[in-house]
Amino acid sequence: MSEIEKALAELKALMKYRADHLGRDEEFRGLGLTSRKNLCLHPSVKREKSGSVVDARCRSLTAGFVKEKKERGEDVELCVYHDVCRLGGITLGLAKRSQNLDLLEPHNLIPPGVWTLDGMLRYGEQQKQCPYFTARRMMPFCNVIIYSYHYLLDPKIAERVSKELSKDCIVVFDEAHNIDNVCIESLSIDLTEDSLRKATRGANNLDRRITEMKSTDAKKLQNEYEKLVAGLKEADEGREEDAFMANPALPDDLLKEAVPGNIRRAEHFVAFLKRFVEYLKTRMKVLHVISETPLSFLQHLKDLTFIEKKPLRFCAERLTSLVRTLELTNIEDYQSLQEVATFATLVATYEQGFLLILEPYESETATVPNPILHFTCLDAAIAIKPVFDRFSSVIITSGTISPLEMYPKMLGFTTVVQESYTMTLARRSFLPMIVTRGSDQVAISSGFQIRNEPSVVRNYGNLVMEFSKLTPDGIVVFFPSYLYMESIISMWQGMVSLSCPVKVVNFANIPKGILDEVWKYKLILVETPDSQETSLALETYRTACCNGRGAVLLCVARGKVSEGIDFDHHYGRTVICIGVPFQYTESRILKARLEFLRENYRIRENDFLSFDAMRHAAQCLGRVLRGKDDYGVMVLADRRFQKKRNQLPKWIQQALLDSDTNLSTDMAVASAKKFLRTMAQPFHASDQEGISTWSLADLERHKEKVEEEKIRELREAKRNSARNGAPGDDFEDYEMEAAMMEIDA
Amino acid sequence: MCESCVDRIFSQGPAPCPVAGCNRTLRKQRFRAQTFGDIQVEKEVDIRRRVAKIFNRRQDEFETLNDYNNYLEEVETLTFNLLNGVDVSATESKLAEYAAQNAAVISHNATLEYQESASQEARQAAEKEETRLRREAARREDEDERRAREEGRKEILEQLTHSNKNAVEVVKETKRVEVLKRRRAAQQAKAPATATGGGPSTKPSPFIIKGLKSTTALSPEKPYDPFGGLTDKRSYYVLQDHYEHPWLDQARTDPHITAGGYSVKEYCARSMFEAFSGLGVFVEEEVAGRGDASEGSGALDAVATAVAAVKAEGSGS
Repeated sequence: MSEIEKALAELKALMKYRADHLGRDEEFRGLGLTSRKNLCLHPSVKREKSGSVVDARCRSLTAGFVKEKKERGEDVELCVYHDVCRLGGITLGLAKRSQNLDLLEPHNLIPPGVWTLDGMLRYGEQQKQCPYFTARRMMPFCNVIIYSYHYLLDPKIAERVSKELSKDCIVVFDEAHNIDNVCIESLSIDLTEDSLRKATRGANNLDRRITEMKSTDAKKLQNEYEKLVAGLKEADEGREEDAFMANPALPDDLLKEAVPGNIRRAEHFVAFLKRFVEYLKTRMKVLHVISETPLSFLQHLKDLTFIEKKPLRFCAERLTSLVRTLELTNIEDYQSLQEVATFATLVATYEQGFLLILEPYESETATVPNPILHFTCLDAAIAIKPVFDRFSSVIITSGTISPLEMYPKMLGFTTVVQESYTMTLARRSFLPMIVTRGSDQVAISSGFQIRNEPSVVRNYGNLVMEFSKLTPDGIVVFFPSYLYMESIISMWQGMVSLSCPVKVVNFANIPKGILDEVWKYKLILVETPDSQETSLALETYRTACCNGRGAVLLCVARGKVSEGIDFDHHYGRTVICIGVPFQYTESRILKARLEFLRENYRIRENDFLSFDAMRHAAQCLGRVLRGKDDYGVMVLADRRFQKKRNQLPKWIQQALLDSDTNLSTDMAVASAKKFLRTMAQPFHASDQEGISTWSLADLERHKEKVEEEKIRELREAKRNSARNGAPGDDFEDYEMEAAMMEIDA
Repeated sequence: MCESCVDRIFSQGPAPCPVAGCNRTLRKQRFRAQTFGDIQVEKEVDIRRRVAKIFNRRQDEFETLNDYNNYLEEVETLTFNLLNGVDVSATESKLAEYAAQNAAVISHNATLEYQESASQEARQAAEKEETRLRREAARREDEDERRAREEGRKEILEQLTHSNKNAVEVVKETKRVEVLKRRRAAQQAKAPATATGGGPSTKPSPFIIKGLKSTTALSPEKPYDPFGGLTDKRSYYVLQDHYEHPWLDQARTDPHITAGGYSVKEYCARSMFEAFSGLGVFVEEEVAGRGDASEGSGALDAVATAVAAVKAEGSGS
């Protein structure tokens, strides 16, 4: 179940509760929006695997010009679900539609209430109306909309989806600990040789279509041309649902004028695109790393191909217009071309805060070039600025957003209210520990110099093994990277664990490797970069936890498992974070970003890296505690965690006792055993009352207390002011005095 | 064509093109390495280079954006003609004609372009140098801090070995000294930074959007006007050459009076001026406007009454 679905279900329960207690139904609409792929009902389209293919096919069935063709009597396929939706109830020869849809007005496509995504699908199936477009069209009439960040932050999407939200909307970014990365991604683009090749093919296709159209329907092209000459822009163009793509630049940075003359004609524009792609291909041939600013890129581009900056800025817009004119339906063929156009527009629009990095080789050791051109945004504040400008209330929240000061700095805003809350728990239901040494007192760390030393690897292995012995049900182990996970697992395989020493002489009992020892107690499952494999592993893991076998899931701190997958209750009783999950610091993109942060926001490299590592560590730890009746052990296994302790979120920091910050494996095991024993005592819901769950009486008592406090404060203030005699406060007095002195002098 | 073939055919000087049907004479010198993978694009860029050299008008030379766009399109069409071999001869002649007619403008724009690119290059180089220096400074800062920390640790050890004070006390003491030191260093670092304008953090904004058009052409500079546009033109009355005033007739003609240089005209001009002066001034408004700005209202009042008196006189006469 996705996070959106969960939140919607929660909202539904809340509204039901309200209705029960208020005794009436409130006029309330809550919807979730997700991609077409998840909301499609069309029998053949929904079977497609890739999201982009679904998008493209959906467009080809729902675009405006397709409908026009149908009305003209041409034989084209239409999506039944969408058609009904678009007409908003005017039946179009559909016998099934009874008069109840006739009554539906465009602002009332779905009855009030909270609709989960599943519910939407069911309703759509029942009413023969497309859930995706229902949600899109109903957005202005909703009280609550839940969707992914991208719909608001990515200018390519936000322009079309979120345009109609009013200014006084309250925007809540939940799980926002990664918001800066989302901001950056939404303005970054990677180009490979393959995509350039596809782009060329796309450009050639366009060329062919233009010549075709010239011979059959030259009028349309001429119309488009005239429109461009006049510099007219249809007001509703941006919001059109079936548009090919929106401008990737932020609304403030759009150049609002007519398209430059040298790309006005379709054939000129295609030649222009071809030239640009060819130039990029030439750049890709270079065999050393290049990092340059957009400005110098543009200069070089101009010297070589006489492409000016201005037409480049209009690239995306012009391409959209052309695709619309040509009435292209197989849009997935032009995806790469679209990417190139996006790149062109961005590179010509932004000068500061962006960098072009060309990496000819995939890794340091590779000898076969596989160049990638990264166009990276370095400044997270750029993408989120329009959101801050447009909406007056923006809330950024997460369970693991710490340290708080970093976010305003990086995103370029000032907080009005900034608060970190603790947890209200009836018992000490989670045990955070920092393990710094193995049982043999050798410090453990995933630091670069010592991470592959046998003693460190063995100590990590022992830690995992010991915890797999004592933990009931599931254990989740997080590694800093796939690379390290693989190397450490293979080393464990050939390693003898300490706890079954080699004193056994019997040959039948050859000492087993660490993994074999773990295997006795738990199933071992591994996360891989492949998402399908991972989801299979997760499924097996859950089954093993449910039937009592128990399992260990080895995964990566920045992988899919660490974000958004919950290990509640028996699915996760222990989480072990092996090593501080630092980012790969040799990455050029990261280096560039670090430099940018230092120069523009005065954030030092080490501060940022450590902050980034700790938020991911906290994210991993948070996976295990998903409710008030949940409990779990959290182990941070690295020497370096000791100093970074104060960068953990407040709720973890508070539960972390000083005595638990410098443990060796055996001490940690003892303390975890004790903890699990306490947790195993019966725990009733009534124990929580008054502490973590409040009844109405508790609430009233609290309210009274708060009010009393307020009265007391007021009284105190009054007394103070009475004593001072003057209504003004000290500061003002001081200022007055200074002014008097000046006058005297 | 491969390099060895070029060597073989053209080493003896210019030779006819080896492609059948092409009767051009080629020279070895004119061969060059191909930049682009697509030969079509290579050719296009060649043509563009030639066209761009001639058609180098700038946007600020045009009255409206539309004119500029039309010009751009025309140039593009011309280039396309050359590229696709559509009436090449006519296009070529057009090109040559334009080049001949506008030689001055072309060369002027070329110099402008050159200057622009040169200045941009210089700016980029300066920027690069600046970032290098900044990076260096940051690295040094880090190193200093590390060294200081190391020293502090060493000092603790030293003190622990030599003194017989309580270990915790020693550690605390040295830590305190260290913090003080660091704070002082930070203050010192901050002082020059603020002196030189605050460093990079006071940059106006993290990114600047360029490409805003600057269409307003500079008008030729006007001659310097010391009064800043203030003229002595009369706006309320026109001075006549002659006023009918019988009692002044004598003054006009009597040599006793005129000999001394007395001129009736002067007298008239002066009295007219006095009569009308202050008519455009609304004292009440001005006083109200000034009253909240300044404190010296007493002086102002005096002025106001004086002006009002003058005004009353003017209207009276």
